[in-house]
Amino acid sequence: MINLAQKEIAHTFGKFIVTAIGVGMLLGIVFVMMGVYRGMIIDAQVLLDDLDVDLWVVQENTLGPFAEASRVHEDLKDTIHVIEGIAKSEGITFQNLQLPSKEGPVRVFAVGFDPYGDINPINPKRLVEGRGISKSHYEMVVTDKTGFHLNETLRLGRDDYKVVGITHGTVSSGGDPLVYISLKDAQELQFLYSNARIRNDRARGITGVNSHMVNAVVATIKAGYDVDKTAEDIRRFKHKSVYTKEEEKVILTQNLIKRASKQIGMFTVILVVVSTIIIALIIYTMTLEKMKEIAIMKLIGIPNSMIIKMIVQETVLLGVLAFIAGNIFAHLIYTKFPKRVVLETPDAFALFVVVIIASILASIVGVKKVISADPAQAIGG
Amino acid sequence: MSRQAIKVENLVKNFGEGDALVEVLNGASFCVDKGELVALVAPSGAGKTTLLMMIGCVEDPTSGKIWLGDEKVYDDKWLTNETRKIRREKIGFIFQAHYLIPFLNIIENITLVPQANGVSEKESEKTAMELLEYFEIADKAHAMPSELSGGQNQRAAIARALANKPQIILADEPTAALDSKRSVDVVKMLKKIALEQDVAVIMVTHDEAMLPLCDRILKIEDKKVVSSKISGKNVIF
Repeated sequence: MINLAQKEIAHTFGKFIVTAIGVGMLLGIVFVMMGVYRGMIIDAQVLLDDLDVDLWVVQENTLGPFAEASRVHEDLKDTIHVIEGIAKSEGITFQNLQLPSKEGPVRVFAVGFDPYGDINPINPKRLVEGRGISKSHYEMVVTDKTGFHLNETLRLGRDDYKVVGITHGTVSSGGDPLVYISLKDAQELQFLYSNARIRNDRARGITGVNSHMVNAVVATIKAGYDVDKTAEDIRRFKHKSVYTKEEEKVILTQNLIKRASKQIGMFTVILVVVSTIIIALIIYTMTLEKMKEIAIMKLIGIPNSMIIKMIVQETVLLGVLAFIAGNIFAHLIYTKFPKRVVLETPDAFALFVVVIIASILASIVGVKKVISADPAQAIGG
Repeated sequence: MSRQAIKVENLVKNFGEGDALVEVLNGASFCVDKGELVALVAPSGAGKTTLLMMIGCVEDPTSGKIWLGDEKVYDDKWLTNETRKIRREKIGFIFQAHYLIPFLNIIENITLVPQANGVSEKESEKTAMELLEYFEIADKAHAMPSELSGGQNQRAAIARALANKPQIILADEPTAALDSKRSVDVVKMLKKIALEQDVAVIMVTHDEAMLPLCDRILKIEDKKVVSSKISGKNVIF
């Protein structure tokens, strides 16, 4: 049996392929948008996974340290450490910084930690050059996306810092590149004021500003102890907000990036709808171009089923080719995006299903046109 | 066994209604036998194509009766829901232009209807090649219609009309786009087909020179169809 779709596509091959590539680029953008969303989820969890702690102790009644500001005394780590079931505890700081560079300031998210402490946020697997921080002052580990090089010196606040290590793939929940500095340096940058400010504060009667603060105390639990129960003990007796790793993950993925992901989700849905409309319009136009031939076929007795099969096959093939083109396009461009874009096979599969459904829906307009075609049109009567 | 291929009785066709009502045919009756080549003539706009399309189960009559072969297909309404099946199985169409499907090559154009009728690809291609050889364009079997001349395409279109072994061929001005020599060739070919394959052919024409080649003339006059024999002075329009 003659496959009409195959013959018609072969006859207008170049036009069909160019159309598929055009629609494919649109689908490629949809796929990249899905990848941006996946990237946000992964970015949000990089720091959590690298730290790999069981508990986050933060300022009471806050969703700190990422979703809300949080300050606790550094010595809280010692108080937490003696609680039964706690294996390790350390103070940690987080702050946004603008690092000077020849191309202009580089916005980063700085993690301050005690290099001699028990908990180190630098994942050795991500360290691609140099070493971790080994001194209390003026050393910095940066991620490769910042563009800084090993042994480069950066002016930060009142001091010069030397880049001693380069990591790969470390970003904050907001997608900013991560840098690591010592806790003392971080505290100076975040909590120590300039001499002029200190003089001004003294004139106002404010004295003894405590710079030994951290944004959170992180802790690990000894084997055999219940994380939730330990968290509840700290909440009750130390009057702090405490989150488990899973709870902090929820805060990051659902509270912090919820709006951003909704925004991307809406864009994706709109793009899918637009793609469906465009495919439908293309099929409608392609069907209109064939109306004379369709009328002739109906006139000489070709059943509707054969003609409808041609329209549906062409539409689905257009969708499949557009999906392939979109995939290739997405894989060609996704590394060029400044933030992480993760193209996942399940997302590609979901997009494929959506494209096939959209193509079948789009073919309805062509099919309706076929059914309504008057065979007498073939001879203009 | 009856020789009747087409019988039309008291056929009425109106367009519009009320003040805008246009009567095209009012009580047209005629018969065409198998093996006959009949010319259908009338002034422009008199309803030749409309009559052809009603016989071809394309256009709905207003009222009347139509038989194709021994089967009554219309009696004030279509007696079957599958008028397209009737066209596919019983009728071959030839038009002023060839109207071949441009994205199918010549042999595919010819095998399309037989394959839609359930004839195997091999069998339909064999028949198509025989027809193409008959029309002396076998070497063009795999060419696209755009690669053939007007005359070759018209012969291919006639081959397509014959591919489903029809009982009736309805030809709407098949020679209008051809020069006089090619026109005579095509009409002679239709006459030969009518005789050899025992097919009834109704051919709409404006070309007086073609009339002597036909067996009979059907003329639309006063919204009716009048049959006349071929004579020396067949003045048409």
